[in-house]
Formats: sequence, structure tokens, C-alpha cells
Amino acid sequence: MGRAAAVFTIMTKTKLRHHLVVRITHWVNALGLAIMIGSGLRIFNSYPAFARKGESFCCYPFEGHKIPSWLTFGGWLAGARHWHFAAMWLLVANGLVYLGFIYLHGEWRDLVPRRHVLGEVAQMVKFYLALRRDHPHQGKHNALQRLAYFSMPIVAIAAVVSGLAIWKPVQFSPLTGLLGGFVWARYWHFLAMLALVALTFGHVFMVFTVDPYSLRSIITGGYDDSKSPELRNARPFVHLRAASATSPAPPAPDTGAPQPQGPASDPPVVDPPPVKDPGGKA
Amino acid sequence: MSKIWLPRGHAAERLGLDRRTFLAASAKIGAGAVMSVALPGCDSEGPKSASGLLSAAGRWNERVERALFRHNAMNVAPAGAHAAGVKFPSYFIADEVPVWNDAERGTWRLEIGGMVRQPARLTLADLTRLPRTDLRLEHFCVEGWSAVAVRTGVLLAELAQRAQVSADARYVDFQSFDDDYHESWDIESALHPQTLIVYGQDGRLLDPAFGAPARVYSPVKLGYKCTKYLTRILFLAERNGGYWSDQGYEWYGGV
Repeated sequence: MGRAAAVFTIMTKTKLRHHLVVRITHWVNALGLAIMIGSGLRIFNSYPAFARKGESFCCYPFEGHKIPSWLTFGGWLAGARHWHFAAMWLLVANGLVYLGFIYLHGEWRDLVPRRHVLGEVAQMVKFYLALRRDHPHQGKHNALQRLAYFSMPIVAIAAVVSGLAIWKPVQFSPLTGLLGGFVWARYWHFLAMLALVALTFGHVFMVFTVDPYSLRSIITGGYDDSKSPELRNARPFVHLRAASATSPAPPAPDTGAPQPQGPASDPPVVDPPPVKDPGGKA
Repeated sequence: MSKIWLPRGHAAERLGLDRRTFLAASAKIGAGAVMSVALPGCDSEGPKSASGLLSAAGRWNERVERALFRHNAMNVAPAGAHAAGVKFPSYFIADEVPVWNDAERGTWRLEIGGMVRQPARLTLADLTRLPRTDLRLEHFCVEGWSAVAVRTGVLLAELAQRAQVSADARYVDFQSFDDDYHESWDIESALHPQTLIVYGQDGRLLDPAFGAPARVYSPVKLGYKCTKYLTRILFLAERNGGYWSDQGYEWYGGV
């Protein structure tokens, strides 16, 4: 096969999955969150508790225990505060660019929960727990991904609002009061951080154990749909490797269960027709 | 299509990876290597090259905070909150609790000066004769803890009015006999209706541990801005730094 033909074949298989704006905001977000969490934990360590002086606090089992310093960033309280109050602008601006872009450009349609979200999530969970053999049919993202990517901005908004309540408990005293006062606002801020960490860990774990091919799509933007988890029938650590293009038998979707028919459930195309729209989504 | 880097034949393809996936994986491994080098550097102050950016952000934050400041934004301690009482942390920079010794240093007086038409030197008795204000307030420390106490004292706005502060005064410096501790404020925060020159806490005269004979207190400032063991209040045209501000904490320290 000549080079031109090889390039053509790959071009038609590779689609632009993530717009440049999404890729940039993704990595700025990763950097900003790392700075925010590290510096926030360093600030927390100067009073690693929630109780008001002279009181106790019901709902944190580690009152008085510091976070390991290797998880912190900023060096000292003032340094961590400078980082925290600088990176907050970066993250908020980045989040607004991202949300504005996906609203105007249409990506939000891949993220907002659809009508049958709970059932779809249940099917994905069943599949991951090997209680269902075939990968549920999906669009750009599966139901769990949609839920996680949709939750992320909501948790981020909770972190921003509780953060404002801690930053200015007097100037914004109605807001702080709404959250139950300064002590509780600190607690909500901490829980929002934990939720962001949990979502991030889940996200990174699934990228590496289910769809490492998506790493490329968040860097260069390109994604080969023939290697999608749905076509590989991949669950964590299972069917990680895509069948090669010359393989006679692509990992077949389970034949025992009804499989919704659609373009994305077709087996990988070995010699595709000359498609003129490689940027379209599967 | 030009957005996607076009691959050619590559050894990685034989491993079931195309070149771009290989590239992406390599980038991840590289990033991991960088992280493992960076990790021991955690809890560091971050790259030195960021300091300019951080101070620019600090100046921006101060502008935002001063724009947000409202004289009618008030602190109200939650009704159910317990007073910290003796659990209120005591704090000073000297080696021992600073105590004013009248026999050695003469009667303690609070000097009010700088850009004022009527400078004053008030004894504690003078202060207690002035209109008295009691406020139950939640105090916010830069470290993250808060504590409730009832503060008794004279509104600084009242003292400023009596001293006839010049309209050109923009800053106030609060100086102490706790070594060289002092902190200067913007005048807006100093004249906030909850900013007090405090001589009593929880219904008693201030304990030496809490800044006797008098200290400045306002819920619109973090604790470190509220100088204890006061000796002098100076109204100024320029800011005059402060003990913690000069060591890298935000000068504004607003709440």
C-alpha cells in the first residue's frame, strides 16, 4: 500500500473528537485543580479541623490531624494563600470559557443527562460488573461518563460558592449564612474538593483501564472510533487492545442480547468508502 | 484535517498501537517522570518564576476586595454558637505575655495622632467614659479557625470624629508595645461600624493574654490585622505595612 493510501485509510478512521478549546481548557483545568487542591490542603493544615473554638464538630472524623505534607503545595500558609487566590481566577475563567464554548458549540448535548439516564447508568454498571455481556450502545460518551462530566461543573460551582462564603464571610454574610455559617461553609468547600478528587480519580482510572486510546484525543484531538470501548466491548482491564485493522474477527458484540442498530454499532470498517466528513461524530 | 497530525508507518503499530497513541502514551510517561521528580518538591512555594504573577494576582485581589467592601456589610455571630471564652487562642509575638507596667513606663495612654486636628492621649479611664459599644462577633483567623466573643469598646469612627481626622488620611497604623508589632489598614475598614477599640471581652476588662489594656478589633479584618496591646493609632496618607504583611501575608487581610 502506498503512503498516500495508508494516510487516506487512517484519515478516514480518525475523527476529531475534542475541539482545541476543549483540549486546552481540559489541561488548564487539570493544572489549576492541582494547584487549588494542593494549596487548599496547605491552608487547611494550619487549622486541620472544622470546630469553632470552644465547640466540637459533628461530622469530620479527623479533627486536628494534618494532611500529609507531600499532598500540599505552597510551602507555608501565606504562600499557599497566594497560590489559592491566584489560581482561583484561572480556574473560574477557564471554567467559563469551557462552559460558554460547549454551550455555543453544541458539545453540551453529549453531556447533559438524557431522559433514561438512570436506566442507562444501571446498564453500564451492570456491564462493568460483568453482569451483562455486551457493552451498552452509546454515543460519544457512555452514560456513566455523561453523568461524571455533567457533575464536574456542578461540583465546581459548589466549590466556588462555598469558597466565596469562606473568603468573605462578612462582605457576603447572607451567602455564608445560607450555607450554615463559616464553619459549615468550610466543610462544604472541603467536601466539594473531595468530590472533585473522587471524580478525577475515577476519570483517570477509566481512561487507563478502559479507553487509553482517548488519551490521544485529549492531546491531538484525534480518535479512532474503531477502537472505541463499545466496539472493543471493553470493561476495566478487559479488551484493552484494539483488534488490528487486518484482524478477521473484530471483537463481536454479544449476540445473545438485542443490540441497537446504528452506525456506531457497526463493526470496524477495514476499507472504508471515501467519507468526506471525518470530523463528524459517531 | 490538518489539525490531526498524520502518522506514517511506525514500530509501535506492530504492537497494536498507532503512532499517535504511542506518542500520547509517551507523553503520559514523560509527564509521570516529571511528576515523580516534582513530587519531593511538593509543599514547596512553587517555581520562583511565578512570584511576579502571584504578586500581580495579589494586587488584583486587593482591588477586588476593596471594591467589594461595604460599610453596611455586618458580621453576626451565629445564634447557636458558643462563646470561646478561655478557649479563645491567646497570641502575641513577644517571649512573654506583654504587660504594661505603670511603675516603669508611667500610666498607659493610647495616642491618637498623625493627620488629625485634635491629637489625643487617652487613658483607659478616658476610653471607658466614651460611648460604649458591645458586639457579639465571630472572629476569623487567617489559619481558618473562628471563635465567638463579645467585644466591648469604643467605635474607632467615634474616636476619629473626635480627633477630626484630615480628609486626606487614607490609612491607619495600629502600633503596640508587643515588641514592634503593628499593622496598617485602609481607612474604609477602620471606619466600619463594627471596628472597635476594645477594652473588654466577654463582659470583663481585657485579660493581658488578649491584648490589655486595649486592642483594635474588627470582623472585617483577619485576626493578624487587629493589633493588640495598643499604644498608638496614626492616621496616614500612605500605608505603613505591618508585622505579618511585611513577611508575606496579604496586607489587606479583609474578610
